[in-house]
Amino acid sequence: MTRKEAAKVRPGQTHVEAVRDTFPGAVLDVARQAEDQVTITIPADMLPDVVEFLYYGRDGWLPNMVGNDERPLNGRYALYYLLSMEGADPSFVTVRAEVDPSTREFPSVTPRVPACVWSEREVRDMFGLAPVGLPDERRLVLPDDWPDDLYPLRKDSMDYRRRPAPATDVENYSFLYEGDVEETTEVPMGPLHITSDEPGHFRLFVEGEEIVDADYRLFYVHRGMEKVAESRLSYDAVTFLADRICGICGCAHSVAYAESVERAQGIEVPLRAQYIRTILLEVERLHSHLLNLGLVCHYCGFDTGFQHFFRVREKAMDLAELLTGARKTYGLNLIGGVRRDILEDQKMATVRLVRELRGDVEALVDMLLSTANFESRTAGIGRLDPKAARDFSPVGPVARGCGFARDVRFNHPFDGYAHLEGFGVRTHDGCDVQSRTLVRIEEFMDSLSMIEQLLDGAPAGPVLTEGWTYAPHKFALGYTEAPRGEDMHWAMAGDNQKCYRWRAKAATYSNWPVLRHMFRGNTVADAAIIVGSIDPCYSCTDRVTVVDVNKRTETVLTKSQLESYCRRRTHSPLKGRGDA
Amino acid sequence: MIELTVAVIQVLLLVLLAPLASGVTRKVRAKMHTRQGTSIFQDYYDLAKLWRRCEVQPGGAGLVSRAMPPIFLGTMVIIAAGLPLIARACPVPLLGDVITVLYLMALPRFMFSLAALDSAGSYTAVGGVRELLLGVLVEPALILTLMVLALACGSTNLGVMADSVASLAAYPPVAVVVAGVAFACACYVEMGKLPFDVAEAEQELQEGPLAEFSGPSLAMLKLGMSVKQLVVASLFVAVFLPFGAASVATPLGLAAGLVLFVAKLAFVMLAAAVIENAVMRVRYQYLGRYTWFVFGLAALSFVFLVIGI
Repeated sequence: MTRKEAAKVRPGQTHVEAVRDTFPGAVLDVARQAEDQVTITIPADMLPDVVEFLYYGRDGWLPNMVGNDERPLNGRYALYYLLSMEGADPSFVTVRAEVDPSTREFPSVTPRVPACVWSEREVRDMFGLAPVGLPDERRLVLPDDWPDDLYPLRKDSMDYRRRPAPATDVENYSFLYEGDVEETTEVPMGPLHITSDEPGHFRLFVEGEEIVDADYRLFYVHRGMEKVAESRLSYDAVTFLADRICGICGCAHSVAYAESVERAQGIEVPLRAQYIRTILLEVERLHSHLLNLGLVCHYCGFDTGFQHFFRVREKAMDLAELLTGARKTYGLNLIGGVRRDILEDQKMATVRLVRELRGDVEALVDMLLSTANFESRTAGIGRLDPKAARDFSPVGPVARGCGFARDVRFNHPFDGYAHLEGFGVRTHDGCDVQSRTLVRIEEFMDSLSMIEQLLDGAPAGPVLTEGWTYAPHKFALGYTEAPRGEDMHWAMAGDNQKCYRWRAKAATYSNWPVLRHMFRGNTVADAAIIVGSIDPCYSCTDRVTVVDVNKRTETVLTKSQLESYCRRRTHSPLKGRGDA
Repeated sequence: MIELTVAVIQVLLLVLLAPLASGVTRKVRAKMHTRQGTSIFQDYYDLAKLWRRCEVQPGGAGLVSRAMPPIFLGTMVIIAAGLPLIARACPVPLLGDVITVLYLMALPRFMFSLAALDSAGSYTAVGGVRELLLGVLVEPALILTLMVLALACGSTNLGVMADSVASLAAYPPVAVVVAGVAFACACYVEMGKLPFDVAEAEQELQEGPLAEFSGPSLAMLKLGMSVKQLVVASLFVAVFLPFGAASVATPLGLAAGLVLFVAKLAFVMLAAAVIENAVMRVRYQYLGRYTWFVFGLAALSFVFLVIGI
């Protein structure tokens, strides 16, 4: 294909044609939301075939699947399988299918593309749509005491200000064991664990100290943000709510949300605002990666390193304060641009701080890498089989530590990243904790250089676009590479200046399902560092339901945590490190 | 009579100083972390507070768990009474035998592991097993080095050994020096400081067996563990660095011995604190690699002893 012809074909078009050729008659409708985003509508029973074809056949990865109650619009539910095409013709292809509101069933894609598992479980919880053939039908998001027939995100569900009466008093979540060793001891880790400051309940199935399998349950801290955004906030206030999804990578979320609206509405963001957003995203990466490097030290029992990384991290926080007025990169994004420009003296101060950070961190990293036992604590620990990684679409340093060059900044360059020169995806192929740590170290250094280059290259001009017209029921994707991986926001505007549906996918949401595979074959002693190596963000993942943490659930869990969980199964001497 | 006074002074000294030593260690750690840190007397405050708290035990726990903390602390007190710390002779000769000391040190470890299993928690059980593993790995080196010294000095009495080392009469000298180095390493492991605190690894096992204790039991256990660190360090000081300890039991000599002993102990504890904060916890599977090195040194000293250099 010559260059001229290539220029005529819009991104994603080749994938649409390929689907048309392979599945004649499957494509009912093609709609384009943005230059790099195309949505095809197909019949629901074709879902597994088409998604599998795009996923494995055309280098697609699945960040997320969005359910939507479109009964007020067209009388049906809709599912949007978002696929990030990262091979030839990079683009986002969304596969849309409608689900009949009377049967509320659709064929599950999970048996063919495991990456869908959490999204399909979530759609089941939130909309009551049944994925037929879904291997794991436990609740994902809703708590045990939530009534069976109440689906929070349906448009006709209970008012968000009310709360249903608890349906049960007992904890009835069952942890699944998939290993092939018959005799194991169950070790509970959490819901409150000394090394994590957020709740998550892990069950380790161990033989001696070796972990044979693990299962876990999250979503203890639902905040119901998506429902609140739909019912309470106007669409332009949601950027500030999106900030609050995460205590660390808030800016990544609000940029992703703002850009999903901007793309859907066709708003042109001024170039300077794009640069500023990019700089803030990188500042966020600085302090997040320093946090994780510190935590790696802490999990290994090396608190001196932990404290020193946190000391240096203060400079990254100062940087945020300098640029946004707050120690966190919060509250800067508006639909159409940013609220605050970077002035000349702030620029100079930023450059100075970046230089200091580079020196400090280089010295600390040298210290970390040469500390006794670092190698033995991290190399070969928490290995993630690249095959499992391909199946489950992990993101961020988890995927890049497995040798996959997945980074939205480079796969789908947006904002200032499109203008950067001399940077690339950092990958390591050890698939272990060490690789993930090294990826973070290298990215940290890259971020420093990126900030310098962006500050130099930022063109003068306005930082906010105003005076555009609002069109209802348009939707698009917004995406950013948060420090932990890609954040993917899908927003559809309503006809009342509110979001009709907002789906925020945090990076860690994609990384939890592979954790089980990382645990296998390691020891209890390494469990904490393995969880730490995905740099988990519990509250980011737990953002969906209308119920918030209630006292009752907490009490029940604490009580059961105090019980003895040791349980013996029948006997087998077999040592196993089960594969999927 | 004066011997008994010395024994009582030693016990009081070690028990009363243990929280201070632990507090200073915490302060050193804080400084290395670039933190302010708590007061060096914080451990006293902690113990006082724990002592006032009520005691809660896990449902399945029985007599072993209740008896363990007093036994742990009591054994340490008994060992402290018998060591030749401020004088070169053992205050209580009955307790000054190498073999007695080694057995007395094994007792709390045994009780600790037993209590860990008794409370039926999964993390505590893992911690208890690790504690035993540590014992199995490090005790041979301790025993061998002390035996080498016993042969070199011609007695298994710690007082005689100390006297012989202090007067440079122990023969052969190289064997004694190598045994000293091996013993120092073994003591460091035995103290249960990082990187060898595998049994109570906070991040891995949520404090292991300690997690199931509370109130006065926890206070006794915490005190017992700080005393244990001091006792182990004192054992090293007493046997391999006895220089300056009073050779005859005059009040003045004993006072000088006391001051020198505290200085030596402080030096050893500070060195240990610095090492502790510069390393990561060893993976418990690799524990053997380190202890083999220590045991190798001990064996080397035995070889030197046999060939007489």
